[in-house]
Amino acid sequence: MPQIDALYNFAYHLTYNEADADDLVQDTYMKAYRFIEKYDIGTNAKAWLFKILKNAFINQYRKKSKQPTKVDYEEIVSYHDEEDTNYSSYLDLREEIFQGMMGDEVTNAINMLPMDFRTVILLCDIEGFTYEEISKIIDIPLGTVRSRLYRARNLLKEKLKDYAKSMGYEDKRGS
Amino acid sequence: MYLDGALSNEEERNLLFEIKKSPELLEKYKMEKSFREFLRSKVNRRSVSPTLIKSIKDKIRIAPN
Repeated sequence: MPQIDALYNFAYHLTYNEADADDLVQDTYMKAYRFIEKYDIGTNAKAWLFKILKNAFINQYRKKSKQPTKVDYEEIVSYHDEEDTNYSSYLDLREEIFQGMMGDEVTNAINMLPMDFRTVILLCDIEGFTYEEISKIIDIPLGTVRSRLYRARNLLKEKLKDYAKSMGYEDKRGS
Repeated sequence: MYLDGALSNEEERNLLFEIKKSPELLEKYKMEKSFREFLRSKVNRRSVSPTLIKSIKDKIRIAPN
């Protein structure tokens, strides 16, 4: 079945639950089969399937999820306002401690991101979609894709850095 | 944006020219590239169960056209 592993991983990162991810993937393929005439031949089929899955998730799971459905932008903006505007998290991933990180730590850090940030990280950095494809999958403007990715990556770096500090890694940035 | 493949050919050429001139920019580029590769290589990827694949195929087989 085309793209099923990638779809399943995306579904799992959205739902945190194998059974729910199974249902979501199944629902996606059934919808894709039912509405196959709506697929534009020659366009990115993977992106089309991801869009179906994302919409199915929104319809089914946001209703019952207790998690916030929107990024709390005020919180995120104020978080960044406290930092230097030229700041980008120093995180030298060539250090052994990061190379020693297991997949669980990285996956957990991604899963701790707010939903909207997690989604763009998964679609861009893990699945390799372009900004245009992401814009269509989650139905947001191109500029929002870029800014959301920027913020999401910085937040993810901070979470990984916090974990590294807890493991005894020292911040190398000068004072 | 360069690492996301979002620049035009000309923008890419200009950026690479600037990176080559600036050790600081080169270092930032290397760290960001390293971070992306790190994410891709470390994130857990689950395999779909054969049961799920069979279930989907069975449902499609009996679904009305």
